[in-house]
Order: sequence, then C-alpha cells, then structure tokens
Amino acid sequence: MLFDVNAYLGHFAFRQLRHNTADGLLRQMDAKGIERALVSSASAITYRNAQSGNEELEEAVRGHRDRLIPLAVINPAYAGWEDDLKICCDQFGIRGLRLYPKWHHYELTDARAQQLIAAATELHLLVSIPIRVEDYRQRSWLVDVPDIPLAEIAELVKSHPKARFLLVNGMGYSRSPLGRDSERLPANYWIEISRISALLNNELGQLLTNLGPDRLVFGTGMPFKYPDPPLLKLEVLDAPGEFKDRIRGRNAAELLGS
Amino acid sequence: MPSGLQISRRGLLIGSAAATGVMVRGLAVSQADQTKDERVPVIDCHAHLFHPSRADHLEMDRRLIEAADKLGIDRLCCSILTPKRPATVEGFRECNRALVAAIERYPDRILGYSYVNPGFSREAVQEIRRCVLDHGFIGVKLYNEHVCTDPIVAPVIEAAIELRVPILHHAGRIHHPFPQQPNISDGGDLAELGQRYPEARLICAHIGGGGDWEWTIKALRHARNVYLDTSGSVTDEGMIELAARTVGVDRLLFGCDMSMTAGVGKMVSADLSAEEKRKILGENMLQLLAMRS
Repeated sequence: MLFDVNAYLGHFAFRQLRHNTADGLLRQMDAKGIERALVSSASAITYRNAQSGNEELEEAVRGHRDRLIPLAVINPAYAGWEDDLKICCDQFGIRGLRLYPKWHHYELTDARAQQLIAAATELHLLVSIPIRVEDYRQRSWLVDVPDIPLAEIAELVKSHPKARFLLVNGMGYSRSPLGRDSERLPANYWIEISRISALLNNELGQLLTNLGPDRLVFGTGMPFKYPDPPLLKLEVLDAPGEFKDRIRGRNAAELLGS
Repeated sequence: MPSGLQISRRGLLIGSAAATGVMVRGLAVSQADQTKDERVPVIDCHAHLFHPSRADHLEMDRRLIEAADKLGIDRLCCSILTPKRPATVEGFRECNRALVAAIERYPDRILGYSYVNPGFSREAVQEIRRCVLDHGFIGVKLYNEHVCTDPIVAPVIEAAIELRVPILHHAGRIHHPFPQQPNISDGGDLAELGQRYPEARLICAHIGGGGDWEWTIKALRHARNVYLDTSGSVTDEGMIELAARTVGVDRLLFGCDMSMTAGVGKMVSADLSAEEKRKILGENMLQLLAMRS
C-alpha cells in the first residue's frame, strides 16, 4: 500500500501546475498505484489569506475523502488564524497543518507559531513543514524565500515533545541533529523521502540505520514533482522488504491512526 | 587510440550491462519491443567521477557504476572537475589523467569528456587534442570559468569542431544574484554561441540543475545545434514534456549529473512515447558520438 504524505491541489503563483485538481491527482495516483495522499492547498502558499486556499481544498476533496486527506495551511501571523483553525477542524475535518514560516513571514520561534503548534498538539493534528517549496536556484525575481534551516526544525521538535511533525521536501538530515540518534531528540518527527538519496552517498540508508524504519515515509510532491523519483528510491534501496513496506505506507497509516 | 575505447554505434549496442537484465521497470518499458541487437543503450550524457584527492574516490566511482547497474544505465559520459575553480593547467590535466585511469578500470561503461579551463587557450586546446586523439575521449567539458561567448573560449570551440566532438557546457539561469558563479553561461549564451559556430555541437547542461528551466527551454527553441541535457536534482512535473514540445525530442539528451533516481525517475514519469524516450535515452547521444566515426 502506497501512501503519499506530500501532495497538493490548486495553483502555484510562479509556475503552471498540471494534474492539480482532485480528479487529475487521483489519475496520477492510480497510474502509480498510490492509494491515499495527504493534500494541502498549493494556492495557500502565496495567498495572503491562506484560509481561502483551505476552503478551495475542502471543496475539491469532497467526495474523495477516502483517498485525499486534507491538511490546512494556517498562517499564525495573519488575522483570525484561530477562527480559521477552528473552521478547518470542525467543518473541514482536517487531519493536520502545513506551515510555511518563510513564505508567510514568521519565525517558528515566534510566540504566535508556538501557540499554533500547541493548539495543533491539543487537537491531535499533524504538523507538516515543507523545508522548501521549490529549488532555490529557480526562484522568481519577485521573491527570495530561503529553505528552512534544519537546525530550526531540530529546536522546534525539541521544544514540543508531544507534537507530531511531518517534515517534507527536505534532505541533508544525516548531517543535522534530526538524522542522528545520538542527539537524543524526541521521536516525534517523521521524514518524507522524496529528496533524499538512495544511491551513492545513500542518505536514506544512513537514516534507516540512525533512526530506524519507523520514522521514514513515502511522498512524491505531486503535482509540483514527478512521482517516479521517490518510487525508484524505494526500488533501489538496499533494505529489507519489511522496512520498505513501512516506508511505503504503514508508517503513514499508523501516523494517521488508520 | 586503444581499441577498447573506439566508439561506434555497434560497440555501444553490444555488451551493455543493462541489456543483461538489470533494469528498472520504467526504462525497460520504453524498450520492451526491441530485440537485443536493436536495443539502444541508455547513455547518461552528464556524469562525474570523483577527484583523486578524495580518499574514497575509487569506492565512490564503484558506487556510481553500481548505481548505473541498478538503474539500467549502460554508459556514463564522465568528466572530473578540479575541487577548486578556476582550474589551473596542472589541475585540469590531473583530472583528465585520472579519468584515463578510470576508463581503463571500467572500459565498457565510462566515456570521457576532457575538462579544461578555456582561459588557458593554448594548453586547453593541447589537452583536448591529447585526450581525444590519444585516449578516445568523446567530448569537451566546460564549466564556469568563462561565459561561453567570451572570445577567449573560441579556440576551444574551434578545436572541438575540428575533432568533431560535442561540448558539454555547465549552464544556469538564476534570477537572483549568484555570486558563487559570476561567469555562469545560460541557455541564451549557448544559443548565441551556436549561431556563431553552426558546425559546433553544444550541450546545455542540466535542465534540472540550472535554475529557471522554462527560461532555458524557451531560449533554446531556435538553437538548432544546441542540445539540452535532462539532468539535475530538480524533478518538476512537466519539465521534460515542455522541453520535448519546445526544443524537440531530437535535441534532448538523458542525463543524471549524479542525481541518479531524479535523472531516471523524471524520464520514467514523462508523458512521452516509447520512441521519443528511446531517442532521449540513447539514440540522440549515439548520433553525436557517431560524428567521430
């Protein structure tokens, strides 16, 4: 069973996305044998009012809730985020959040971000953080949004031991405390594999050794990204089949309690 | 020229590692209807071996071959770059000597690009001639020491034309200041160079590792003697299809630039016909290599 923890619907301000409707994404998932996906609004990354993106997402996944599981993009620096969070939980049935601190111009250490993460923890919501949206070399001339340093994420997971974090679109974990068991961070974060190498320096193998098979999850980044690179990583990864099954979907299913 | 390094279409078709059956599903599908003799080899047009100053370079080279085996890549067109650039004359000579030794270790798998700093015109041309004529290298690799349209690069371009080998040129279009690489060339520069030298065969490097790939593709639309390689870590959906529609499948060359699953994965995902994929995966590079023979 393949469970994609890193998918999106909607538009991105700086590049046309294809397959970005529910039907389009589901067709892509079917073609690759992906059963379920965590999805959030791509439009909400650059909307000033991210809640509009959450509303569009809710409408798009209606009727597909068995396969497309919504996450809400909440910007704690924007007016009314507490109301947005309540609506997303009570009416939209979201299972987690996606946070874009660099795009939405706040720091993860800000009091308002801390408050949002505390609220998410209380509500048993996953907190998904994309380390980047697109490669830094192809940024539009209009924006200069950096990747989130992994050191900031390490501090965050340490300061919220009861929260559950899902880190997507990242790499280089094995050089950070997040990828080294010896650093004794709480086991409250899961790492999505789409950008992590499985050959040559084989960071995926290093993470399996350091963190164990329960902390890695499959994700594609569709429709921003092609789905086959992470599928190939699983194919070529030198690891027992049981470990691969966990990465393919069992870990994500357990994370979602399903 | 050592006989083992002779490049011919038949030579590339025979004895390929991937033809023995080690092949990922996606690339296998694109050639499923081919018999063994007709099968086009999968050629990674943009790869690197590791500099000999690195203690584990032999092991890392071995891992590259192992990765190629796992992914169904038959041949890797490689260069070795100096750890620090701009490269000195002794620096690029050392790289090419190391590449000759590596080709001797993996004669059926590695093809060589002669890496030079074109700022040293006379020595660079001598080095290219030595590598191609004495060691069977298949092309020239230029990095970012000079923008490709700088007149100082001209002797190197003319040497490649005379020797009938392609030039793989590092490139990128980055919209923000990029102080690390002040002399980086972009697709527009390569298009201009191609116009100045219609006999040259230029390869614009890594569509997936050179910033705004849509810009690069559009800049190369009319550059008939400039090829575009698909390598790089960026796997943005739609990239390969836009390149195929705009530049044409006859001018696209498969590559990884060491991002192995990214390079192969984007070709597996791309919504192109098997015939179009065959061209990109190997046929087009075979035609470039055939210029020498």
